[in-house]
Amino acid sequence: MRQALVIGGGLHGLSTALHLARTPGWQVTLLERRHVGRHSSGVNAGGVRRLGRALPEIALSVVAAEMWHGIQALVGDDCGFRATGQVKVAESAADMARNEARVAEVRALGWRHEEVVDQAEVRRLLPAVSPHVVGAIVTRDDGSADPMRTVMAFRAAAERAGVTIREGIAVTGLARTAEGTIRVQTDQGDFEAERVANCAGAWAPDLAALAGETIPCGTKASMMIVTERLPAFVDPTVGATARALSFKQTASGTVVIGGGHQGRSDKAAETSTVLFGSLAHAARIAAEIFPCVAQARIVRSWTGTEARPPDDMPVIGESRTLPGLFHSFGFAGHGFQLSPAAGAAVAELMARGATNLPVAAFSQDRFAVPA
Amino acid sequence: MKVVVVGAGPAGIRAVEQLVRAGVTPTWIEESPDGGGRITQRPPAGFTRSAAALYGADAGRARRLHATLDAMKPRTDWRPDTLVWNIRPQDRVLHTQTDGAAQAEVPYDALILCTGAMDRVLPLPGWTLPGVTTLGGAQVALKAQGVGIGAKPILVGTGPLLWLTALQYAKAGAKPALVLDTTPFLTKAWQAAGMMWNAPTFLRGIGIMAALRLRGVPIAEDATPLAIEGVEGATALHWRDAAWKEHVTPCDAVALGWGLKPESQLADLAGVPFDYDALQHNWVPRRDAAGRAPVAGVYMAGDGAGIGGAEVAELSGARAALALLADAKLPSDAALTAHLDGRLRTEARFRAALERAFPYPAKLAARMEDSTPVCRCEVITAGELRAAAAADAPEMNRAKAFSRIGMGRCQGRLCGTPAAEVLASALGVTVAEVGRLRGQPPVKPIPLQQPAA
Repeated sequence: MRQALVIGGGLHGLSTALHLARTPGWQVTLLERRHVGRHSSGVNAGGVRRLGRALPEIALSVVAAEMWHGIQALVGDDCGFRATGQVKVAESAADMARNEARVAEVRALGWRHEEVVDQAEVRRLLPAVSPHVVGAIVTRDDGSADPMRTVMAFRAAAERAGVTIREGIAVTGLARTAEGTIRVQTDQGDFEAERVANCAGAWAPDLAALAGETIPCGTKASMMIVTERLPAFVDPTVGATARALSFKQTASGTVVIGGGHQGRSDKAAETSTVLFGSLAHAARIAAEIFPCVAQARIVRSWTGTEARPPDDMPVIGESRTLPGLFHSFGFAGHGFQLSPAAGAAVAELMARGATNLPVAAFSQDRFAVPA
Repeated sequence: MKVVVVGAGPAGIRAVEQLVRAGVTPTWIEESPDGGGRITQRPPAGFTRSAAALYGADAGRARRLHATLDAMKPRTDWRPDTLVWNIRPQDRVLHTQTDGAAQAEVPYDALILCTGAMDRVLPLPGWTLPGVTTLGGAQVALKAQGVGIGAKPILVGTGPLLWLTALQYAKAGAKPALVLDTTPFLTKAWQAAGMMWNAPTFLRGIGIMAALRLRGVPIAEDATPLAIEGVEGATALHWRDAAWKEHVTPCDAVALGWGLKPESQLADLAGVPFDYDALQHNWVPRRDAAGRAPVAGVYMAGDGAGIGGAEVAELSGARAALALLADAKLPSDAALTAHLDGRLRTEARFRAALERAFPYPAKLAARMEDSTPVCRCEVITAGELRAAAAADAPEMNRAKAFSRIGMGRCQGRLCGTPAAEVLASALGVTVAEVGRLRGQPPVKPIPLQQPAA
């Protein structure tokens, strides 16, 4: 058996490990510093969304969408996935014009999942929406899933596929051995493998640095608030064309409001903090688009830490300084949906050195490496 | 120097008194419409019952506390009806909300948290029925509003509050249908020597127990509550006596309480580390004997800093303020400091005996039936929690992620204690090992639409 190590027990690490372990001939061990799903994998909003993706990400997200619709077959659990649709509302004629241009651009590339709808249709989809909403872009079979349940389902599937998951192990060094394999030094001894995946999220650029590779990347700590339970009033996940909003009512009736409003992250302490000033802004937007939540109360808030490259797109590709090491990080707050497909792509890269999955655009070569 | 005192119970009042004495004008924040705390809870303006009727043997202390409270208000930036719902320790800022709406950010250089305590409960079948409340809730209803939770209530739990509340209800004309103490008489008697460290309080406790018996209130010690029966509301309690015989006692309300736990979410948000206190059976924010937290500028006093009772709250409030003044190189009373240190040491011995006399019945929590709801906000049963344990949740925060326990409106303030017992016993570890739910803002629900201050 050929040995592979995956560093990072978030969803991308688990998905990569799962797909590689299902490739004949590979023995996979996953190392996680804390516990599986500790950071953004376990605490994101669970959006399963193609709608509004940056153009280079669409192809991979379309592959991922197909995998989500068959997620039960992939991991043996439905992950709480509900294809209730994603809707991005337009609040003005200018928004509508922007939406039409966007959808025309997407359709020109051959994609059909985004659709412009008028006021009557948006009202049918979102009966509780404010009267000022004039239309929307809709992706009808997008939806959302339960992040923690998804993490646990991927973990269980990976373990069934033969992956050894070791929690509480921190990687401290990466080096090439005389035999051409990679030695992964940890606080609990050395591991050796032919292929290593760097799926360490916000801490992945530091791992790249251990391998002597500089990849420009910041961090992100998107905040979310949750209201008390309300009667069911909306099925799809809702965003807005011109304003930062992500709005979803869960099966239990609570409303989860996000939209990329940033908290404060402390990478060294592995914590992040909610900043209420900008959350109040998110809450105001939410109440303007859904007036029925104006009187609701906030019961919880949280944030998770994630890597964010300068162009907000992931880094997927083999290390330039330590061949055999493959990066997969920097999903910048929109990696949840991509995880089944990205894991499959990285596993293929590791096993065969190539993949037909559309990840070429995410190579770190797109950044000018500082001397 | 900007000093903020959170809470105007016995600890907060005595802290502010010392600050004002040293020439400091603190901002004083209280969640209720008025100060006074819970044991010496003040009725709303216009209520006319006398202090003697309201507080019994505590009347003198209540009168003195309330007099200081009223004298201090004009000498501080007094903010009643104000909830502190978040702290940003990096910026030394509190987020507050007044009258359920107006938002403000309050900067501080030093902070004294006097956030009090709340009842510790033990879920049992039927505890979510209307008519079931906590002992503290039952007592506050009587003291502040002059209403009882029922005409023939049953009081269940252990601790001084159980007996005190029972006598107060009996005196008010709502004779309890049963007082059920889960602690055996001998467990209490065994600690009598230790409780002589505060002889007046101990003797008063003995007096209360005797008075209840004299009034013919049915009392069961070393008994086990089994279930609360009812459809629209609580109508009876099923219980088992020390001889393992089962009984059904009709009632119209039930109050539950097994001692107190610190309301320490603000200390948590301020970055104060917590330690498990095996004797109190509580997680307690770390502080020195004077009330200094290991976080610079943060002080704690009263039950929020570890359960000590109303008398200790007064002492520790004054002591924390003196520590703050000394640290800030402001004038502080050295003689008073030495006196308070002595009193606090003695009271700690009394408290240790009291905790041993009225232990939290951890075994009952661990044995809870699978179908009993532990978290009443999210309706998470003991069985679901055990399933989370089986799904590899080695500690409370992961059990929360798996089961939603503590995600509801109370944020685990109520369910955290029993949930930790259920999880620990399912995992076969100690309750200290399963940890505690991390605090998250908002500490209590706040409106989504936040009007500016």
